[in-house]
Amino acid sequence: MIIADKKPIEEIIQEVKDYDRLLVLGCNECVTVCEAGGKKEVEVLASALRMHFIKEGKEKKIDERTLERQCDHEYLEEIRDVIDQYDAVLSLACGVGVQFTAEKYHSTPLIPGVNTCFLGANEQRGMWTERCQACGACILARTGGICPISRCAKRVMNGPCGGSSAGKCEINKDLDCAWQLIIDRLRDLGRLDDYEIVAPIKDWSTERSGGPRTVVREDVQV
Amino acid sequence: MQFRKGFEADEFACLVQIEPPKGTDVSLMVKHAVNVKGVAHGFIVSEMGNAVMRMSSLGASLVLRENGLDAVLQVSCRDRNRLALQGDILAASACGINAVMVVAGEDPSFGDHHTAKAVHDVTLDELLKGLAKMESGKDMAGIELSGSPDFLKGTTLNTCLRGADRENELDKMKRMIDAGVSFFVTQPLFEFSMTQPFLKTAEKNGVKIIPTVLLLKSLGMARYMSRNVNSVNMPSAIVDKIVSASDKVRECMKIARQLILDVKSEGYGGVNVSTLGWEDRLPEILGVMEGLKG
Repeated sequence: MIIADKKPIEEIIQEVKDYDRLLVLGCNECVTVCEAGGKKEVEVLASALRMHFIKEGKEKKIDERTLERQCDHEYLEEIRDVIDQYDAVLSLACGVGVQFTAEKYHSTPLIPGVNTCFLGANEQRGMWTERCQACGACILARTGGICPISRCAKRVMNGPCGGSSAGKCEINKDLDCAWQLIIDRLRDLGRLDDYEIVAPIKDWSTERSGGPRTVVREDVQV
Repeated sequence: MQFRKGFEADEFACLVQIEPPKGTDVSLMVKHAVNVKGVAHGFIVSEMGNAVMRMSSLGASLVLRENGLDAVLQVSCRDRNRLALQGDILAASACGINAVMVVAGEDPSFGDHHTAKAVHDVTLDELLKGLAKMESGKDMAGIELSGSPDFLKGTTLNTCLRGADRENELDKMKRMIDAGVSFFVTQPLFEFSMTQPFLKTAEKNGVKIIPTVLLLKSLGMARYMSRNVNSVNMPSAIVDKIVSASDKVRECMKIARQLILDVKSEGYGGVNVSTLGWEDRLPEILGVMEGLKG
């Protein structure tokens, strides 16, 4: 899922302070699971903002709403009837949701309430770690199901590099060396011969380097 | 004559665009450049134009300098991050290069290494700010340098854009001037009306525009550019001239020579001559420069 993290309240206050009517808009998908922008976080943030502005003697209308998804036309339509009641929307969705909402409601200022971080997994309660960089050409079949693009600091395709020490990465002693993990898993799978195969130079054109990407699926288009 | 020296003395600059070789053999590049030594004040050494892998601008610039020729280095944000850019800038300065052009670089998908990753760690604006900082004695991280570079700074300018793109280009030009750019090299020009507003901005701000005069090679090339290259404004009169000429290559040479004279008479700060592989024709084309000297 997409992992996001809450923005500091000071930054949010700075961005919203000039709007008198604000809709705090959550999303029921990824940001709910990673506890950064779901219904619960919308309630907490809206309350914090109300308290802040009351303390400053400012009267503001701060409403709450959480949509099923902000990256979907269908659900975004649910606020069309009320959008004119607000001077701005503070969206707690990921960057995709914020942009999709902004595109749909062109004349309403959109403010992001979270920092979108990466595609990751819930490692343990309160801790999420990166697993995918959406490079558009998955090689996990060759690397024992461990991604060197997202988990190796240098994104090397034929590792480990000289910075791997005792299974850890040179940039951080708490960070596993992705290539050590790959070797260990290939060994456990009895596929160490795969490790001997030198991977070809990476085609980055399917990654973000080739510009913004589009997936077209004619089989599901209507 | 050295480009920067002449430029700062307000003399009309004659530059030649040089494509470094795709390989290690620099003999032809050097030969062509030496052929116009004295007439050309400097050589703008492309940094992998159109994202085609070639010898780097820095390497080829140093080769030209070894042969007594003045080089204008190009540094591109496409291929290098801020460490590499600064490292090359320091190297260039230490080796005597004193003029640099910052360029964004075309996307790798346009070139011959389609699957390469573009860097774009810094933008042109940020690179220019970084250059200014380096000139003041500190690197982009604010750490003191032992000896600082000093460059005449330039960049590219597209004067034939239309609509909102044109406004954006004018805004960009102003930003670049604020960031320390002294000269702007244009896309190939075949007429000058669309460049006038940019020239006015340049004159107002004490900077110079250096139009590129591109040697057309055939009627087909002129027609292709006229129909397909949005950034070029090709008057039909130019195409007609080539159509009616019996010796089309000779006519193309004549057009290039005339355009160089026009650039001078229109009041630009210099000219950049590009021959795209026909560098052996440079002496004949630049022969016209003799009349422009002084």
